[in-house]
Amino acid sequence: MLTASPTTDTLKIALMSCAHTHAGAYAARLEAREDIDLVVANPDGFGDVRGVSVVGSYDEAWNAWPGGPDAIVVTSANAHHRDLVLEAARRGVHVLCEKPLATTVPDANAMVAACREAGVVLMTAFPVHFAPAVQTLRAAVEDGALGEVIGITGTNNGKLPDTRAWFTDVELAGGGSLVDHTVHIAEILDSIFGEPATVHATTNRILWADRAGEGAETGGLVTLTYASGLVATIDCSWSQPAEAPTWGGLRIQAVGTGGQLQVDAFAEHVGGPGRWLPYGVDSDAALLEAFLGAVRDGRAVEPSGDVGLRTVRVVAAAQESVRTGQPVELASI
Amino acid sequence: MTSTSPPAAPLRVGVIGTGGISRAHAPGWIETGSDLHCYSLEGAQEFAEQFGATVHASLEDLFAAVDVVDVCTPTAVHAEIVHQALDAGKDVVCEKPLALTTEDARAVVEHAERVGRSLFPAHVVRYFPQYAAAHRAVGSGSIGQLAVLRFERTGSFPTQPWFADESQSGGIVMDQMIHDIDQAIWLAGPVERVYAQQSVSTAADTVRTAHAVLTHTSGAISHCRGLWGPPGTRFRYTFDLAGDGGRLQYDSAGDPGVVFDEVATTTQRSGDGFLPDVSGMRSPYAEEILEFAAALRADGPTRVSAADGAYAVEISRAALESLRTGRSITC
Repeated sequence: MLTASPTTDTLKIALMSCAHTHAGAYAARLEAREDIDLVVANPDGFGDVRGVSVVGSYDEAWNAWPGGPDAIVVTSANAHHRDLVLEAARRGVHVLCEKPLATTVPDANAMVAACREAGVVLMTAFPVHFAPAVQTLRAAVEDGALGEVIGITGTNNGKLPDTRAWFTDVELAGGGSLVDHTVHIAEILDSIFGEPATVHATTNRILWADRAGEGAETGGLVTLTYASGLVATIDCSWSQPAEAPTWGGLRIQAVGTGGQLQVDAFAEHVGGPGRWLPYGVDSDAALLEAFLGAVRDGRAVEPSGDVGLRTVRVVAAAQESVRTGQPVELASI
Repeated sequence: MTSTSPPAAPLRVGVIGTGGISRAHAPGWIETGSDLHCYSLEGAQEFAEQFGATVHASLEDLFAAVDVVDVCTPTAVHAEIVHQALDAGKDVVCEKPLALTTEDARAVVEHAERVGRSLFPAHVVRYFPQYAAAHRAVGSGSIGQLAVLRFERTGSFPTQPWFADESQSGGIVMDQMIHDIDQAIWLAGPVERVYAQQSVSTAADTVRTAHAVLTHTSGAISHCRGLWGPPGTRFRYTFDLAGDGGRLQYDSAGDPGVVFDEVATTTQRSGDGFLPDVSGMRSPYAEEILEFAAALRADGPTRVSAADGAYAVEISRAALESLRTGRSITC
């Protein structure tokens, strides 16, 4: 694989910001690889990303190598994704951007366009795309095992992120659970069924009402319809109680003329009262592997920036539906 | 208590319509020691033989012989028969849905109030022990304020032809999902808005699913998912209730009390796909009939009122209106 590298054998990667809770997981996996030279920018001073080369500003990270990094991983607060990605495009640097790609459709459009024009890889960090259970779902639909699929129920429930207050700051996050937890399942459905035709959403702010930022929804139900007639509902609520032994989970049930399939992307664990020991395929590592391969090939693979943009449009349509109380045509977004 | 029946005498009960659901209700009536009568366009004799009932040749004959009627006919004629029974001075149990339309449902409720008779809509899911336990826990505040509720109900397409005619049955929303709409209301209160979608297989129109999203006045939100699956689909019901103080979950497929392995399953019948398998629990159908009978005798409380039955129809109609228009419907 290294011999196919268009640049050097070792890829120079800058991880931009430790604001997202996934930064530590990505840093640990990149740091462990011999083909990666990693620098972590921690301008916000979060203290929980350890054992790596950490610098205190984005400038230091951009300038950590004479020719700059080959690629960056963007794990800043959502609203700051755009500036970092546009800067990467300007510098000709490849990008893996944490989801959601952006907090607005214009931002996401600008990011995708800039990377396309600059000829750099833009991928969106949807690790669950690589979960074996999700691959099984995709295969079961594609090979017709479920017959004609007519309905989907997806749940992506979690605890309220508790080490990063910006997750419920609507300015920085773009919203609450509707933004945080709709896009994973929206991406998976996009990879199987394409884009929906309409989006309806209803939300509330009852869970974690004492901790969530003002105006940040903590519960939500998003219903998608497709031209085929398929109907899908996503429960994006932060409804995992604080005392649960694991952060939450992601489940999808597909029903069709050939029967029903339900998959649980985080089912693999050893349990016990109050215990949850996860095992199984490391989806974060699979995502990074796909990204590094794309960087070496100079060609994005799924989950791309484009699907990141499409899922931002679904969220924007859901937010518009919450405002109007009516379903929204995705084409109008 | 009915005015025509002294407390010690057995209730005289007339079952009208002796199809599937009447067979679920009958054991409850027998358990109460009732004197069973029946009238039906079809199958009355078979029902009478199975449950020891007296067959009547007309509704009028039946009314003359009983104190209470149990309406188990196809949905489309519920309201008409309930009105006749009330006019004849009978207390009435009526299988859900109470009527096909909101207007008809409200009219039977008002009629019962006007003539001072009891009207019990048989929303049996309120009598399933899992839902009853969740309702008690929510009522006692054990999971705090309800925020997000999810309900799933899965079965095979009903075989009786009238179910396939939406003008007779109201389709999957009115016949099947109404159970979960009623649960959402029972747990989280009145509904402000309903958005619903239905997807019917283009290849086999008996395979269909419906989703309804309810926004409650309390702020809680509910998702109800109904499915009539392909032949062989097992009956299954689930719920997931998230409150700001905890979460309650139930899945009938994950109920671990009795588990046959794959080999044993092939020789073991477990439900018919049309009604839930209640063999491992106190029958909720008997439970509801016993509660209605006790209420008739002693004016005791029931966990479902006539108005509840009408409200479930109203919200289900709003869901049907949403299906028809593609819009979210304000209730």
